[in-house]
Parts: sequence; C-alpha cells; structure tokens
Amino acid sequence: MLRLEDVSVHYGATRVLWDVSMEVGAGEIVAIMGPNGSGKSTVLKAAMGLKKPSSGVVTLDGEALQNRPATVRPQRGMSIVLERRRLFPRMSVEENIMLGGYARKAAEARETCKWVLDLLPEIKPHLNATAGKLSGGQQQMVAIARGLMANPRVLLMDEPFLGLSPAMVKTVCSIMQMINERGVAILFNEQNAKLSFSMSHRGYLLESGRVVLSGSGEEMLDHPEVKRVYLGIREAAA
Amino acid sequence: MSGTQLVELILNGLITGSIYALVGSGIALVYGTTRVLNFAHGELMMLPGYGFLMLAVTLGWPVLLSAIATLVLVMVLGGLIQRVTIAPLLNREDWAFQVVAATIGLSIFLQSAAQLIWGEQFQGVPYFFSGVAVIGEVRMPWQRIAILLIALLVMGLCGLVLYRTQIGRIIRATAQDAEAALAVGIPSGRVHTMVFAISAGLAGTAAILLSPLVTVSPWMGASYLLKGFAVVILGGLGSFGGAVAAGFLLGLIESFGVAFVSSEWSSVISFIFLIAVIWARPEGLFAGRGQ
Repeated sequence: MLRLEDVSVHYGATRVLWDVSMEVGAGEIVAIMGPNGSGKSTVLKAAMGLKKPSSGVVTLDGEALQNRPATVRPQRGMSIVLERRRLFPRMSVEENIMLGGYARKAAEARETCKWVLDLLPEIKPHLNATAGKLSGGQQQMVAIARGLMANPRVLLMDEPFLGLSPAMVKTVCSIMQMINERGVAILFNEQNAKLSFSMSHRGYLLESGRVVLSGSGEEMLDHPEVKRVYLGIREAAA
Repeated sequence: MSGTQLVELILNGLITGSIYALVGSGIALVYGTTRVLNFAHGELMMLPGYGFLMLAVTLGWPVLLSAIATLVLVMVLGGLIQRVTIAPLLNREDWAFQVVAATIGLSIFLQSAAQLIWGEQFQGVPYFFSGVAVIGEVRMPWQRIAILLIALLVMGLCGLVLYRTQIGRIIRATAQDAEAALAVGIPSGRVHTMVFAISAGLAGTAAILLSPLVTVSPWMGASYLLKGFAVVILGGLGSFGGAVAAGFLLGLIESFGVAFVSSEWSSVISFIFLIAVIWARPEGLFAGRGQ
C-alpha cells in the first residue's frame, strides 16, 4: 500500500533522513518509534508531501508520489493528523472538520461527516465552538475527525498522544483501533516504546534519521536493545 | 464647534478613513495570509490610477467600464507579482528579509517605469459624480460621498467572501496554518496568489475612487503605503477587520486633528497616534478580531 524506499531528506545542508525504507500494508497499524530528533515527524511529512525528499521513492498502491504536490495525497486516500493537532484555531470545529473534506465533493464530504461524528460523538456538542478554545483532548478528537474527512485508506498520525492526559491517551488509542477496524491503515509515530509497539502490528525504530530495527510489534517489544534502551529493562545474565 | 461642522468633520473623517481602510485591509490580508509585508503595495495603487486615467480620460471609455477593466488588470498584475517575484523566494531560508528587499526593489522599479512612461507631471481625472448633496446645513460633494459608499460596499463584499464562502474559509485556513491547510489538500500557493490579487483589487478601488480628488503621479501610492502600514499596526497585524476599523479610526482622528491645526499636520497627528498605540497596546487595537 504505502511504501517509502531509500528516502532521504535534507533541511538546508543538514541531512535528517538517511535512506529510510518503510511499508504500511492495507489495514495495518504501523508505529515509528524513536527519540527526539530522530526524524520520525520528517518521515511522515515526506510521505505526505509536506517535505520533499532529496532522494528516494514514495508510492501509494504503486503510484509514485514523491514529486507530486501534497494536495494530491488526500485525493488518493491519504491524510495526516499533524503534531500538536494544528487545527485552524480561530475557525469553528465544524469548519475545521469540513475543511478536512476539501478535496472531496460536497455531498460526499457531508456523508463522511455524519460517519465521523458517529465515530466521535464527543465532538457533536462543540461543533460551533472555536477550535482553539477546546481542551487538548478535544482538539485531538477534532484533528482526527478532520483527518478522517478525506476518507483515507492510510491515516498518518504525528505524535497523536503528545500532551494528552493518561485517560485521554487511552481514549485516543481506542479511537485509533476503531478506525483501524474499519479498514483504515495507520502509520503513527511516538516516543513511548511500550505504547507504540503494544498497539501496532509492526514497528520501526528510528535513530538519527536511520531505521535501525523493524519487526512485528511483539518482536520489537521483545528485542533486547528496545528493552534495554527504551523500556529500561535489563535482562538477567545467563 | 457647531453641529454642522461636527457632522462634516465626521463625514470627512469617514471618507478619508475609507481610503485608508481599503489600502490597509489589502496589506493586512496579504500579511495575515502569507506573512509578507508588501512594500510595492503603493504601486498597486499608483498603476490602477494611471490605468483608469488612460481608459477613462485618454481613451474616453465609460467610467464604469474603465473602472472594471482597471480592477481586472490590477488584480491580474497583483497575482503575477506574487507568482513571479514573491513565490520563488518563499521556499528559501531567511525568506522574510529577501521578500522585503524584493518588494522594495519592485516598488522602485515600478515608480521609475511610471516616470519613464507617463512622465513626472501630475495628471487629473474629472469628477465622475457631479453635484453636492445637501442635508440640512451639511453640504458634501457626491464624489466624496460615493467614495465612502463604494468603499463600504467593496469591503463589505470582501468581508462576506472571507467569512461566508468556501473561498473565504480556505483563505482563513491558509492564514491560520498554511501547512495544515496544505495537508488537507488546499493549494496554499494558489491561495497566496489569490490573496495578492484581492489585495491589489482593494488598492485599485482606492486609486479609482481617489483619482478625481488627488492627482495621479508616479508617487501617488507612497504616502498611502505608509498610512496603510499604520492602519495594519493599529488594527493588529494581519487582521482584515481590524485594519478596516483602524482605517476609519485614523481618518476620524486626522479629520478632528486638522480642525484645530493646519492640514499639513494631518500625517504628524496620525503617526503620533500610532506611536502612542504601539507604546500602550503593541498588539494593536483590534488584535485577534477578523483574522
């Protein structure tokens, strides 16, 4: 479905991704885990077309997208929930959600909006509220709703749990699983190894812009390096 | 001061303010959406001044047709300036300073080109509304009243587009977060071009309305550019509604100011007021509204 092959990205003269290759299959949840500054967000931005790769290939169902503008992605069934929600803060919740369906016909967008509000009924009472005045958790719900309005087959989520309370993290996890059960593949990034790999089918570990480890969620959690560095578990000496 | 004088002062203030509001709201719209301060905005006022003069006076076209044709041309020019001069710089690091330098250069180029083409003389456009409106003891030329009414109509239409239409929603979305707008599929580059075109249209409207009252010259837009910047700062950087309100406020302050001192002091009064506002309320008088 979504593939990144040998993708490199520069910010000015600084190289931040080094030949990164990743894949998200239909209906999968895939996690990218790594420390701050490892390039997790850049991977998502490169996939979404918000940052042009300096080399490498990004394909969705075989169609090369790395040279196409970001505006093409929502039409092809790909959307993103950006880090820190990035709602349009002075617009209403309803306007934010409807703009998520910008690339679609008005009637289709209205239909999807009904589906999205059924999935996330907590948003309904706030439709006329100014988006920037909602709590962090409510804003995350709206950001997810906006992402779903493109009716994506692949949803990218950049640090979806950032700044949320533990209770809200659980809620967002269960929403992601609900979305996935409806056939939407999810590629997300997160700094918490346990959280990332326990809820994903597969995962990648990114360090200094390079993929250093990949495998199923269980394999990643069981890997000695992940355990030692990211989970703080020291295996007993044999 | 008599009641008649007071009404005339208010009317004159609103009329002058409507021109400041047209110029300032265009600058605010561009800054609010693209974070670009366009120093060539004054020339987007001067060029339609000449355009209207050529069509309505030299070629003798009907006033309405000349005005519409001038507005279309200046909007296309505004869009082209964004595409050719500004858009290529926006992807660079440190683009903000480069854009300032580019628009200052463009301003000098357009002023010099106007001098070469039309000469340095000041040229007049005849009144297109004749007569004087008399309400009680208040007398006001229809030409001046038309400025206020047409400016209100044009800014009202702009407000309607911005806050009640899908085009307005995508402009506001791009203004609030261009990357998030791009992520939902809004072509923010095209939105920037559209905003420059609308901004040029607002400046063009001001130029056409003013052209019978002030002479058309290569420097026609320079003083209004400074007043436009003052209006943008007073209104709260990037706020369309704030700029409109600040434009009218500045017009009224000038009008009341020159009632007590010589009219040559009008700009001094404006900028003293601006400095006082920056000192007391640096975010502007209407920050956060109408963005």
